[in-house]
Amino acid sequence: MRIPWIAAACLAALPATVALADDDCHAPRVAWQPREAALQAASRLGWRVEEIEADDGCWEIEGRDAEGRRIKAKLDPATLRVVKLRHRDGDDDRRREDVRAPAAPLAAPPANPLFQNGKPPVVQVN
Amino acid sequence: MKSAIAAFALTSALVAPGLAAARPVTFTTTLNNYGGDGAYLALYLTDASGGYAGTLWLAGGKSKYYDSLAGWYRATGGDPAQIDGITGASVGAGRTLEITLDLADALFDAGYVLHVDAAVEDMRDSPDDVAVPLTTQGAGKTTQGRRYVASLKYDM
Repeated sequence: MRIPWIAAACLAALPATVALADDDCHAPRVAWQPREAALQAASRLGWRVEEIEADDGCWEIEGRDAEGRRIKAKLDPATLRVVKLRHRDGDDDRRREDVRAPAAPLAAPPANPLFQNGKPPVVQVN
Repeated sequence: MKSAIAAFALTSALVAPGLAAARPVTFTTTLNNYGGDGAYLALYLTDASGGYAGTLWLAGGKSKYYDSLAGWYRATGGDPAQIDGITGASVGAGRTLEITLDLADALFDAGYVLHVDAAVEDMRDSPDDVAVPLTTQGAGKTTQGRRYVASLKYDM
């Protein structure tokens, strides 16, 4: 469930107008600050960076915070603001659950034999 | 022979959907408290010969991760046309996904199998976390999954 750096770089190279709608950061390519700037921002926060890559339109960092806890964070690539931070040590793991209701299905599901009369399924998450 | 009859019935259902016998079926998938991010799930059917028959639902919003649903991805090549209008958010650990749709009677007792592939960020992928044959006798019975799926059942 990770994308390689080269794929992320290709995504970053696309015009901002075709950026994926569900990306977590949305800075245009020209606004990205370099990896070194992101590393410096992490250092100012007291983090020890073990891995950095572009993911979901953000700089994604894995490493340790000032207290030595494992972290996974995303920085806005333009502002270097922390947009997501998770601590990942054992029971202290702050898991991110996607508890949104499922996206409303479109009017017509795929034309396959599973969907009688073209009716979309009714879906809910409890 | 049985699959040929089912294929004929399904073809008929497509040609004359008003005449096809179908019933509402609810698929209930409950996840374990695995301690990770929301799970990407693909619920899809294969026919008696193991061929891909269609997708019921794909939970998870980022298509770049769909190849982690290895069985579904192998069957479809990740073709977005297979999931137009039938995708939603990933499903959190410990939560339950319920899908209700009208399914043709011809899909039951004809060798069709419901597969659930599951994947979670930074955790192991689980193709065919659970797979159950679609039979009238199997309705209402709970099947345990291998990794992320605690249980799967269908009611009609």
